[in-house]
Amino acid sequence: MPPAVKSKKSVALPAKVPTARKSKFQADLAPSEDSMVRILKTELQMTSNTDFLTDALALLRWAVSERKRGHHIISESSTGERKILLFPRLERVAPEVTLPHVDIHWTDKELESLAELASGQPADPTDALIRAMRQ
Amino acid sequence: MAVTIRRLEESDGVEGFDCGDEPLNNYLKHHAWTNQQKVSIGVTYAAVDESAPRTVLGYFTLATSSVPRDRFPQKYVRGLPPYDLPLILLARLAVDKRFSGKGLGHAMIAEALKITLRVADEVGCRCIITDAYPDKAGWYARYGFLPLEGTAATSPQKMFLDVRTIRRALSSESSSAERK
Repeated sequence: MPPAVKSKKSVALPAKVPTARKSKFQADLAPSEDSMVRILKTELQMTSNTDFLTDALALLRWAVSERKRGHHIISESSTGERKILLFPRLERVAPEVTLPHVDIHWTDKELESLAELASGQPADPTDALIRAMRQ
Repeated sequence: MAVTIRRLEESDGVEGFDCGDEPLNNYLKHHAWTNQQKVSIGVTYAAVDESAPRTVLGYFTLATSSVPRDRFPQKYVRGLPPYDLPLILLARLAVDKRFSGKGLGHAMIAEALKITLRVADEVGCRCIITDAYPDKAGWYARYGFLPLEGTAATSPQKMFLDVRTIRRALSSESSSAERK
């Protein structure tokens, strides 16, 4: 027999999924750059600036990810001639953590001094060091 | 002047480089590339201007090293991790004298210390050591490098900077940026 009073069951409503807002991108281009965009769009058979920007972004993103992994971006001609892309901004993301190992000549006194410094509390950073890390 | 600091490339222009110190000039011109690419005993980073991206205006060389734990005096061993002490050697740093006084040295030491932190994060290292000419020791001291005792009078001054101090500088930088 069903209960006289129906109890309300709390039903979990699906969380409202926020819709991603599309952002607008506007750029001031020099006439030569504007012309370059038009030529590239024609060559690539693109009609919209959005498609152009999307593809350019994908290409730049790929280049950044490759350089971040330490890979070089190289073009190779049919005769085997290779050219390495050297793009200053990309060089900023390249990891350079692989350093070779060398032996250092230490005097006993230097080792004692090194051990004392390394086993103690680290010094506070100087202003110049803070500025350097801010750069 | 928009300076980029990156690894030395074989085609970089080094012939005109003159920092006023012949061993440092000579290293860049004759050994840096070989040591980096062929025998792998040091990586040289070149400072270049974006308007002339092949002309080296300044450089520094980094390598890793370590001190075996059993070489340390017993009284300090307890305060150290139970392993060899990994460190980075800032082997050379030089600026072409035509570009001195433009902040290149500061930009390069900043980059060297950032690489040090990246190495510390990636593979671990405890400190950075440099061999400073006696007349340049004060410049390194501004960045917190501490002189090691016991360097022979005829040798460059060995100087030490703890990675933890560099991290603190970075966190000081982060917290001041957050406050803005």
